[in-house]
Amino acid sequence: MTSSMNNALEKVKNAIKNVKIIEIDEREAKIEVESENTLPVLSILKGEGYFHLSLLTAVDWMEKNEFELIYILYSWNDGGKFIVSTKIDREKAEFVTVMHMWPVARFYERELHEFFGIKFAGNNDMKPLFLENWDDIPPLRKDFDPLEYSKKKFPEREYQKDIIHEAKIIRGDING
Amino acid sequence: MSASERNIWEKIADQLRSRSMWMLHYCTGCGAIELPPSMTSRFDMERFGMGPMATPRQADLFLITGYLSTKTLRRVIKTYEQMPDPKYVIGFGSCTLNGGIYFDSYATINRLDYYIPVDLYIAGCMPRPEAVIEAFNTLMEMIRKGEANGWKRYKENYEWYKKNQLRSLGEVDIHDEFHE
Repeated sequence: MTSSMNNALEKVKNAIKNVKIIEIDEREAKIEVESENTLPVLSILKGEGYFHLSLLTAVDWMEKNEFELIYILYSWNDGGKFIVSTKIDREKAEFVTVMHMWPVARFYERELHEFFGIKFAGNNDMKPLFLENWDDIPPLRKDFDPLEYSKKKFPEREYQKDIIHEAKIIRGDING
Repeated sequence: MSASERNIWEKIADQLRSRSMWMLHYCTGCGAIELPPSMTSRFDMERFGMGPMATPRQADLFLITGYLSTKTLRRVIKTYEQMPDPKYVIGFGSCTLNGGIYFDSYATINRLDYYIPVDLYIAGCMPRPEAVIEAFNTLMEMIRKGEANGWKRYKENYEWYKKNQLRSLGEVDIHDEFHE
């Protein structure tokens, strides 16, 4: 890791207990924090020059019954990147907004609300961002079945003959 | 009068229509990347009397180039209904035929001819400019013979198309935050 990343990590470790740091690459590290310590970690990193919020997204860990929220912070001084990750409960998916630190987070949070059903306290703009007239559970949750939904809503072409079988005969995979 | 019957004036008009095609420059998917090479000097689409047109109200030919999300399909139906008769539709690539690699997606439709009438499909992912030119030639031939009558089918089976559109889209009207 670069020296400025080490300095930032020292500050994080001094201020907050229970942080787990995983070094991924020379300029990339993952910081796993408790959900109540996430905003302090983000604001420390922002003060250390990691002020560009590249991405805010979520991962659905259905077996563990939790969502992992991921904030990626980038530094334009030395190209360092921090991945700040925190776990929240899947049943009661709520977190606090970071709109006061990064106004662009409004749209990331709208997207997460639309595709995972996560609510963000402090962000009142929770209109759908991409989908129109959505009528099922949020589509990027792991318990959503896209194939079943597609079969229900968008009928497929019905072929008269078994075209795949014929193509295999033509290609020589099976003897006709 | 059934869809295939034409009087003498329509036959003459179809000869002329097939020689001045304005296609709507509405690029719905990745297939649109094959149109610039079809238009420029090597394949030179303009020698057939074809050219791009920016607005639906002056266009004859509507190209659906690739995958169609439900969100885009609303705009496509609205655009198609704005085009004056006679109007022709070409579906590009496997996505419009059977969904292609997006067959199980929650947001893209699986076959286009349930929603708007398609006169001609071009198979492939993606069709090369040679296939695109071949398809345009075939469409012109179909217009001269009076076989490209999707716009008549749309009027005759309007309830059927509307039913399919409503089943997949919920409503066809467009409401979005940037236009209200």
